Amino acid sequence: MVSLTIDHTAVAVPEGTTVLEAARQAGISVPTLCYLKDVQAIGACRVCLVEVEGAKTLVASCVMPVAEGMKVKTNSRRVRESRRTVVELLLSEHDGDCQTCNRSEDCELQALARELGIQEVTYPGEKSKRMLDSSTPALVRDTAKCILCRRCVTVCGQTQGVGGLFPQRRGFKTVIGPAFGVNLADVVCVQCGQCAAVCPVGAISERDQIGEVWAALDDPSKTVVVQTAPAIRAALGECFGYPPGTLVTGKMVSALRRLGFDAVFDTNFTADLTIIEEGTELLTRLKTALVEKKPVALPMFTSCSPGWIKFLEHFYPEMMPNLSTCKSPQQMFGAVAKTYYAQKIGKKPEDLFVVSIMPCTAKKFEAQRAEMNSSGVRDVDVVLTTRELGRMIRQAGIDFRALEDDTMDAPLGLSSGAADIFANTGGVMEAALRTAYELVTGRPLPFANLHVTPVAGLEGIKEASLKIEKPLAAWKFLDGATLNVAVAHGLGNARAVIERIKSGQAAYHFIEVMTCPGGCIGGGGQPRLTTNEVRKARIQAIYKEDEGKQLRKSHANPQIEQIYQEFLGKPLGEKSHHLLHTHYMAREKV
Amino acid sequence: MDNVRTHILLCTGGGCIASGALEVGEALRRQIERRGLAGECKVVETGCLGPCVVGPVAAVHPDGVFYQNLRPEDAEEIVDEHLLKGRVVERLVHKAPASGEAVPSLHEIGFFQKQVKVVLRNCGVIDPLKIEEYIARDGYAALAKALTEMTPDQVIEEVKKSGLRGRGGAGFPTGLKWSFTRRAKGERKFILCNGDEGDPGAFMDRSVLEGDPHSVIEGMIIAAYAIGASQGYAYIRAEYPLAVERFGKALEAAREMGLLGKNIMGSGFDFDVEIRMGSGAFVCGEETALMTSIEGNRGEPRPRPPFPANKGLWGMPSCLNNVETFANIAPIITRGAAWYASMGTEKSKGTKVFALAGAVNNTGLVEVPVGMPLGEIIYDIGGGIPNGKRFKAAQMGGPSGGCIPKQHLNVPVDYESLTELGAIMGSGGLVVMDEDSCMVDVARFFLDFVQDESCGKCPPCRVGTKRMLEIVTRICEGKGVEGDIERLIDLGQKIKDTALCGLGQTAPNPVLSTIRYFRHEYEAHIREKRCPAGVCAALVRAPCQNACPAGVDVPGFVSLIGEKRYAEALRLHREKNPFASVCARVCFHTCEDKCRRQSLDDAVSIRSLKRFMAEQEVTVQLPEVRDNEANAKRKIAIVGAGPAGLSCAYFLARLGYRPKVFEAEPRPGGMLVQAIPAYRLPREELAREIRMIERLGVEIETGLRLGRDFTLQSLRVLGYEAVFLGVGAPEGSRLGIPGEDARGVTEALCFLREYNIRGTVPTGKKVVVIGGGNAAIDAARTALRLGAESVTILYRRTRAEMPAYEEEVEEAEHEGVRLKTLTAPVEIVVEGGQVVGVKCRHMVLGQYDQSGRRRPVAGGEGDYVIPADQVIAGIGQKLNPAQVHNGTPLALTESGFIKVNPYTGRTSVDWIFAGGDAVLGPASVVDAIGMGERAAVAIDEQLTGEKHAFWRETQPVDTFFDPDADPAEYPRAAMQLLPVTKRKNNFQEVELTWSEAVARREAKRCLRCDYRVECKED
Repeated sequence: MVSLTIDHTAVAVPEGTTVLEAARQAGISVPTLCYLKDVQAIGACRVCLVEVEGAKTLVASCVMPVAEGMKVKTNSRRVRESRRTVVELLLSEHDGDCQTCNRSEDCELQALARELGIQEVTYPGEKSKRMLDSSTPALVRDTAKCILCRRCVTVCGQTQGVGGLFPQRRGFKTVIGPAFGVNLADVVCVQCGQCAAVCPVGAISERDQIGEVWAALDDPSKTVVVQTAPAIRAALGECFGYPPGTLVTGKMVSALRRLGFDAVFDTNFTADLTIIEEGTELLTRLKTALVEKKPVALPMFTSCSPGWIKFLEHFYPEMMPNLSTCKSPQQMFGAVAKTYYAQKIGKKPEDLFVVSIMPCTAKKFEAQRAEMNSSGVRDVDVVLTTRELGRMIRQAGIDFRALEDDTMDAPLGLSSGAADIFANTGGVMEAALRTAYELVTGRPLPFANLHVTPVAGLEGIKEASLKIEKPLAAWKFLDGATLNVAVAHGLGNARAVIERIKSGQAAYHFIEVMTCPGGCIGGGGQPRLTTNEVRKARIQAIYKEDEGKQLRKSHANPQIEQIYQEFLGKPLGEKSHHLLHTHYMAREKV
Repeated sequence: MDNVRTHILLCTGGGCIASGALEVGEALRRQIERRGLAGECKVVETGCLGPCVVGPVAAVHPDGVFYQNLRPEDAEEIVDEHLLKGRVVERLVHKAPASGEAVPSLHEIGFFQKQVKVVLRNCGVIDPLKIEEYIARDGYAALAKALTEMTPDQVIEEVKKSGLRGRGGAGFPTGLKWSFTRRAKGERKFILCNGDEGDPGAFMDRSVLEGDPHSVIEGMIIAAYAIGASQGYAYIRAEYPLAVERFGKALEAAREMGLLGKNIMGSGFDFDVEIRMGSGAFVCGEETALMTSIEGNRGEPRPRPPFPANKGLWGMPSCLNNVETFANIAPIITRGAAWYASMGTEKSKGTKVFALAGAVNNTGLVEVPVGMPLGEIIYDIGGGIPNGKRFKAAQMGGPSGGCIPKQHLNVPVDYESLTELGAIMGSGGLVVMDEDSCMVDVARFFLDFVQDESCGKCPPCRVGTKRMLEIVTRICEGKGVEGDIERLIDLGQKIKDTALCGLGQTAPNPVLSTIRYFRHEYEAHIREKRCPAGVCAALVRAPCQNACPAGVDVPGFVSLIGEKRYAEALRLHREKNPFASVCARVCFHTCEDKCRRQSLDDAVSIRSLKRFMAEQEVTVQLPEVRDNEANAKRKIAIVGAGPAGLSCAYFLARLGYRPKVFEAEPRPGGMLVQAIPAYRLPREELAREIRMIERLGVEIETGLRLGRDFTLQSLRVLGYEAVFLGVGAPEGSRLGIPGEDARGVTEALCFLREYNIRGTVPTGKKVVVIGGGNAAIDAARTALRLGAESVTILYRRTRAEMPAYEEEVEEAEHEGVRLKTLTAPVEIVVEGGQVVGVKCRHMVLGQYDQSGRRRPVAGGEGDYVIPADQVIAGIGQKLNPAQVHNGTPLALTESGFIKVNPYTGRTSVDWIFAGGDAVLGPASVVDAIGMGERAAVAIDEQLTGEKHAFWRETQPVDTFFDPDADPAEYPRAAMQLLPVTKRKNNFQEVELTWSEAVARREAKRCLRCDYRVECKED
């Protein structure tokens, strides 16, 4: 332990702790801006400056390790005035059009200026140059609002291993953006939106499509249906002041109805459908390999996460055969809604308008992929993120906290707990194993409360092995086989897993990859700011939702059984193949 | 090997190559071949010899002859004359600046004499590409010694004891740094060499890398051995392709010889070096940014701690030193720490290499012992300032450094002394600036540089320096506002305290340091919208006009003269300065010193043109006067009818006031009539212009002396609302030596006044005048005219330091005045109460004083006596304050003159204004005129609350000018002078006027810097 004094208070912390964390542990709040716990500590923004006795200049507390006997002042006049100058300088270059910024009142810079009591900018001058990048369907960048904190650079490069954003040029002309000043659409950006999720200001945001939804709702010729992804219900409440991890499924359904959607459905339904299709696909691949002894791409990767798909297409196109051909639940939903459901209500696909509420910005990209029109028209019309839905509810004047609970509509509204946990890292794996193991052995998955604990939690790469004993007759070939699975979240971890496979260090059969740290509950479209504490709270909420259900396995969902009977036929059948499966394309690496 | 008798060491440093060294080398070889001398004479391409400005240069050994400004066509003569016949080619050798004599020997050239070469020991001596030549000069002996006789700790101890400090700029003790890295735990350790030299004007590292790469490599290997590193990186600017190439070849050569790689010299020690080319960013010179760049990332600094010694390159313990630091290591090991520590100062040992650049005669590379006074580097080695300009400041340490002004020329150049003055030693950039540099513009340049080079990571550097740049730029553009200086200081200090890395923390230094020493220049830009140095384009209509203390529209009146529009020309002149005819004779014409025509040939002869113009006035023309009844009733008193007071009266009268002038002497004119002799200023010329002022409604009453006949308070009682004090500095300073009260000792002003007012003054036969100012010269020439048989001027400094106008000194000499410089009187020799001689002492110039001049100190020779029957002391003038204030408490300056606001002339008493010599001490006529004008404007503003100075608006001049035409090609017309033989025993005007044809031709030489065309942006 290291002993030091912070603002005349004696503090003892483990060696290696930063002054910032030591202060926080002592209950002393030091403002920060570029700092992001567990992600970035680079001392760039100079907001967390403190005075350390004996140091020539002020020091950034986020990177300053504690030392024995150190004397720190976090609130001296020198510190306060310097911090204020630093923030004033940021305000002086920042496009300060707060009233029209979608981050107003959700802006860390604004909050900081208020906290420091800044009422004027002492040194006004030229503003950062505006370069608007709306080249991608998912994200919009505005350099005039960027304060160069580099959080986006770090999540994109380090956490996600993508490296689409860098500091460019020098001095006042420094901008953060893709190399050579090109647009996001021209680089390897996977559109996961993690940059937007960590941006403290309005410099990178999701493309706002609320207007398109209002237009569809106002169009009497359209039947507008909405699907909500599993991760929304554990996070939407945060937009209305609920603590992270508050489940608001019922209120969310009520709000969607109040907004005027003709039917409120659940992406969870197609998550269950995904498990059937993907589980069958995995077993088929295993059978091809083990019984028919034919070459087949293993391990198989899950394909629910569109950022991950695009990542693989850019960086590892040679691994595309390993991707499950299943569409993501969102796209399965669109295809099913515009065919199966449209038929049921006597409409043509083009009369239906499908809106998705997703925790994800990459879903906006996915929805407009050229191949996603198996219903004959665009299967999903508009994707809104959780944040957009929150704003839309506010725009409609709905008092969210006062809403009564409501339930989803049929026939695409019923789902199992297995579908819920699609939101968490490890959840798709667990849901798949719940079904696959039971299909193969006829017995439930041998884990307490059906939770595959080795693949749960925030560890970056998780592994599990499952020995199959005494399978049913049809799966005799699997007797005694050990199924090796892995789970990765955050594309940086996915990259590590792929490298392990390519180098022969690991042999897996099935790998779940989710683009975002923590899975969809930590998606790029979720309410800000998603820290590990927030992730844990949301994950817990999702498991609670799962555990609260009678129906916890996808194959037990009666509506799933119904859709196969009424419409799809059988898993991996012709109709499934047409509506529920897809293909991929290699993309440039730079 | 051939038995070569003569080596020509040809400098192939970057500078000399750029000026054609390689072609010279080829020509020399061809000529040697042609003459069949190939076996006995050899051209060696070496590194930098130093004096880049006269490149290409070469040294011929063993003769030790130094040739400069070589061209390929010179090769034949050098080979035929020097190599064959042993005769030095004089036209190609250095010429002593003072005498112009040829100085062939390298060792006798001032530039080389005071240098001590340790780092540059081999530069210019060996072929950098031949490792054998390096070895022949004890190269790699230090490495052998370290590896075989010393433990790593002993090496570190030796370096510690040597006192060597990091030459990259911060000056951290090198041995200490090594010991930190040695102690740090890590799988691997790295030695890094910083060759990313990026300061504007710096080329020290480049020259070492190009001229002696092995010295750096050897230093790196020894350092690696000391700290336990197995790999080194030399990070060299990509903009230095020759350095990269030569260093790369040197690495290969060292590897081939087993000096790099596995098992070096059989010692079991492994080490190798790789070159990493810099990515063109100044910030990559910052150690953490440099390491980030080597790692393959954008070169941006990272916070410290962790320090590189513990976690550096790739997170491993790393030791980074500058090129020059490494080059010092081998001599320290071979010759010992004590030897190294014997050079330098107490806290800063050894030598330092500087790149001398800017306004200095010998630009180039120099190495001197640390602690040499700055003045010695600039004047003794650098050869002083070109074109007779005055030294203003030395910018040291580049964008992180600061300026050292002339009052600190004596500062020893070491780490601590420079830091105390707000500059830094830096890596060795030393940019000399003369009077033509605007310090605000200099600050703007450096800010612009750091703003461009900031990595953009932290807001204080990225945005803060941008805001500072915006403020400084607006000051340069004349848009500065009150408070801007304080804003710059406040923001600058905040940036220093908050920025992430050394670049940002030092970025405000150039601004802070120029404000510290040149605040008045900032204030002139902000308050007067004037750039004193005449640099800032938006504030400078024409440099001549800008330089004129009265702001006369010089190109305007000159071009009107060119069109024969003399009346208009004179009228334009008198808009700003009533004394056209006076100034045509006695002005010290700073306008000509700043004339841009000098860059072509010589300045336009503005004062002579003015003389011609003034001669054309037949009847006196009156300027525009704006009658104002209210002003006419107001009572304003002007005390002293010298140029300041009369100018103040003139401008007040033009605003409708009727000021009254009180003059103590019987005739108005102040020094113009009392001190300046008639042969320079005929009395009628002065009287004519004073009459003009009187005709505007100014009343002059003579014979009334302040303090005797009236007081400031009595004026107040009489209802004067404002008083302008233009009382001059009429008292001569005393010599302060024995015998000065003897008969025959007088004071220059008294002498001149007595003659000029009374028409006669006792004059000796053997006259000695003491002093170097205008009063001394005037007294000397007057004495000569009054019949003195010999007149000798004693001056304690050299002629270059004399404050008198150069042409006056020259004419005095022509007329027979003897000038004895470096001579100080120590005693007036008296016999029977009468002067019989002056005991003199020979002086030499010692250290630099506050005025930036060398202080004279007693020389070695004994004292001697110059016989004299009259001694006239002209060593300074002062004000008698008691006489002036007489109970009214006026604040005084440290030198005893009246303290005023320079922009308004207002004294500490709000209704009293002052100007001229009473404020400035002995100064020029035109300075006094300018101050009179400013006071008039301020008095008017004080009384009316408004500004009415209509003459200050620039008046359009419609003279013709063709911007596309070439400038007139003929040279400056000479001044016409009365022959010396006709000057004896009379006071006829010495300068004569031109003919109309000469004057009009001269006027056409003007380049019309005032010409402006509105450029519209599309």
